[in-house]
Amino acid sequence: MQDLIDAILDGDISRVLSELRKLTVQDIRPEQIIKNGIESAVEFLNDKCSIDSFNLLEIMLVTRAIMTIIQELYPEGPPSSQLKSTIVIATLEGNIHDIGKNIVKIILKAKGYRVIDCGKDCSNEHLISTAQQNSASALFVSGLITSIIPNVQKIKDLLEKENLSHIKVVAGGAALKMASPEFLKVDYVAETVFDGLNYMEQLQKV
Amino acid sequence: MNSIERIIKVVGFNQADRVPVIAQVFGHAAVVANVPLDEYLQDGGLVARCQIDAWEQYDYDSVFALLDVCVETEALGSRLEFRKDIYPLIKKYAMADTSEIDSFSIPNPKKAGRMPELLKAAKILRNTLGKEVLVVGCALGPMTLTLQLLGAERALYLAIDDPDTFSGLLDFSVEVCVKFSVEQIKAGVHLPVIFEPAASPAVIPAPFFREFLLPRLQKIFRELKNVGSLATWLHIAGPTTPILPYYNDLGADIINIDYYIDPSEAQNKCPNLCINGNIKPLSFITEKPSDIKTMSKTLLGLFKKRGGYILSSGCELPLESKPENIKAMVLSVRE
Repeated sequence: MQDLIDAILDGDISRVLSELRKLTVQDIRPEQIIKNGIESAVEFLNDKCSIDSFNLLEIMLVTRAIMTIIQELYPEGPPSSQLKSTIVIATLEGNIHDIGKNIVKIILKAKGYRVIDCGKDCSNEHLISTAQQNSASALFVSGLITSIIPNVQKIKDLLEKENLSHIKVVAGGAALKMASPEFLKVDYVAETVFDGLNYMEQLQKV
Repeated sequence: MNSIERIIKVVGFNQADRVPVIAQVFGHAAVVANVPLDEYLQDGGLVARCQIDAWEQYDYDSVFALLDVCVETEALGSRLEFRKDIYPLIKKYAMADTSEIDSFSIPNPKKAGRMPELLKAAKILRNTLGKEVLVVGCALGPMTLTLQLLGAERALYLAIDDPDTFSGLLDFSVEVCVKFSVEQIKAGVHLPVIFEPAASPAVIPAPFFREFLLPRLQKIFRELKNVGSLATWLHIAGPTTPILPYYNDLGADIINIDYYIDPSEAQNKCPNLCINGNIKPLSFITEKPSDIKTMSKTLLGLFKKRGGYILSSGCELPLESKPENIKAMVLSVRE
């Protein structure tokens, strides 16, 4: 399994596929590959990123490797019985830069969450109706520009109006992470993808 | 001493009458003039008028002939969508396929897209304020333009999967940057800031910067000096600490540091470069003038002995910045 983890962390797709084949030939079950391979790689990355060496390119290569494994193991998507809670994710209206959001989506999926992606340039209304329809436990919103802040500040009130105030709101991205949760009126501001993931993992334990 | 003389002194680590202050007022100039941002960004005359009005209101040391980060990619064929109160969105990237690179030619800044509008703004600003106030233009650095041509995700994967093609795109972007910068200088800017946010260590690791971008940025700054740029200025936002040592070899005179960066560390790592920064941009929305004054005074104190410093925000001032906060920063250099 360590060879698979190393290949994931190197972002080397051909080695990832080769190591994955070796494991499946040995009848290692997909759940074990997810838990001991993908999740271990994510943990390693989590530790590395927490010591101030985070860059988008490196994370993109790892997430591409992770997606390759998940698609190989579950061409139709992971069985719903194995999934944790549902998270709705979006880059908000007026913002089309969504690499960060796509990475968060993959990391959350790799850790077993069901993720509904509302895409980029997403309105608050679409975000909230999607959360309602999918019984989401959290909304992850991101943005690179400060112009979206007024929209972020409205989300909790809109959720409350729909009797959805139990849904947690997590904000991230260059513009939003400059601000405090109080200013943005959200439950949590994530400094990095792993910070957001750790927040969700803590909620799962409660 | 006027603003230009002051900045020249400070860039050369000589004594000036006071520390220069550059508020990075770009689109905010439209907001304070009650002009819709989409109109501002498509009309060089309006840019100049709003920049002049903002300068009269705030009295800082520089104005900007600068539209947004989509000017070059639009000139090369990207399709944009303009909305009233936000910067434009790229709806379709210029380069659908990297094999198309050979069919792309360097755009003519006098004709392509909104490049002529930026040149128009530069000319008016130079004629109106340019004897006393620094007129700054803007060109995207090669990494940022490459990402704007392909879309960031595709461009970054290309860097790993096909580094030769990626390098070709960077070289093409260098040519675009140089040609646009040269035309801006001819039109009247004293210097164009080279805006390269995609080269931040938040996006790429430091060795990538060293291998792919250092030599290309060196080439750009060499060319700018050859055509008489008053000084050279590199602007990379985000957590740039890991690449600060490379800044010494770029040929840039002024470097921008964002709010993430410890100013003392930047001083130590770049002892001979003029530093511009680094109040947190969001503070201009969330804080009070007294807070901005305190932050400004702290920075002025940190750089007092060293010199080579321009008081500024870490990046662009948000559109919704409170005018009283910008005034507080500007006043702090005069008290």
